[in-house]
Amino acid sequence: MSSMDEDKKLIEKTIKGEKEAFEMIIRKYQQPILNYIGRMVGERELAIDFTQDVFIRTYSSLHLYQPQYKFSTWLFKIASNFMIDYWRKKKIETFSLDQPPKWDSSNPPLQIPENKPSTIKKLEISQLREKIERAMEKIPAPLREVFLWRHINEFSYEEIAEIKNLPVGTIKNRVFQAKEMIRSLLEEKE
Amino acid sequence: MKCLSIEQIYLYIEKELSEAENKKIEEHLTTCPKCQRALEERNLLLQAAESLPLWQPPPDFTQQVMAKIFPTKVPISSWIKAMSAGFTSIILALFIFLLASGQNLSGLLISFNQALWSFIKNFALLFVKIFKLATLLIKVIQQFFGFLINGFTSLTAIISPQVQIIIIAISIIVILTLIYGIKRKLFIGERT
Repeated sequence: MSSMDEDKKLIEKTIKGEKEAFEMIIRKYQQPILNYIGRMVGERELAIDFTQDVFIRTYSSLHLYQPQYKFSTWLFKIASNFMIDYWRKKKIETFSLDQPPKWDSSNPPLQIPENKPSTIKKLEISQLREKIERAMEKIPAPLREVFLWRHINEFSYEEIAEIKNLPVGTIKNRVFQAKEMIRSLLEEKE
Repeated sequence: MKCLSIEQIYLYIEKELSEAENKKIEEHLTTCPKCQRALEERNLLLQAAESLPLWQPPPDFTQQVMAKIFPTKVPISSWIKAMSAGFTSIILALFIFLLASGQNLSGLLISFNQALWSFIKNFALLFVKIFKLATLLIKVIQQFFGFLINGFTSLTAIISPQVQIIIIAISIIVILTLIYGIKRKLFIGERT
């Protein structure tokens, strides 16, 4: 049975009243959701609380789930909306779908610059990981979000487009921007 | 073929391109050290990003969420069991106390009764006093309101109806302004 079918079976069972089925859903998705929320908020305790709230919100909206969509993308959509609510409450700049965000106008260069010496190759992998973690905190939250989904949660561009309800091209561009922003931050001297 | 774009490099690493596009890129890479360097660098970046340590949820995470979604209800039978266990423990403790102290049970019961009786007596006296005080207070309030109504009727007899309307309108405006002022003050207080 594929993971998608397995999820749908578990949801059916949960709706019928089998608590154990929802417990299995939590066990399966607790780590991916915590990794997304954790790197969005940066605090462990807060991230754990938010992840719990996302599962509670998911349980109370299970009757709205449409089986033609992947459960994982639906779950991440709930988590993403949760984060948007959090940013709104904290009055942190969120991204409106109607208006282009500020960082959309600052596209990274498309062509490879001429023989610029790079520091990335000189770093140890552990140092590079540390620097990436710090750089991720500095990039705009909407870019960080799609970068995490693509390279930590390993979603396809199509799945991310489904979560955000945006064209695949827009998502590809945002992930590209995120990567190049992180790369240029790695080049900066501390 | 001209040099690759950075986006092309990423899509090539992520295997997002067609076979034909991949072939073209591979051919170009064999002849272009600049693109090769850019590819190695981005490959390293993605490898490091994809191997970042994962955040581990606490071991009791699932139980915590389940407890929030399905709070456990204690059945009535459990309450009865707990109460009877408590009552039995008290009786048992009393019995052990009697045995250990060597006191007479009847003597203990008599002293307990005496203490209970004195408590009831004192409480009854206090209750009577409170009742008397309350009736007195009600009488005073009654008289005060009677005085107020008398004063108001004699005033309305003196003042003409037009003036009465003006006074009522002014009073309403003053009250509304006061309410608005208090609300605004509270709101500003909340914001600061």
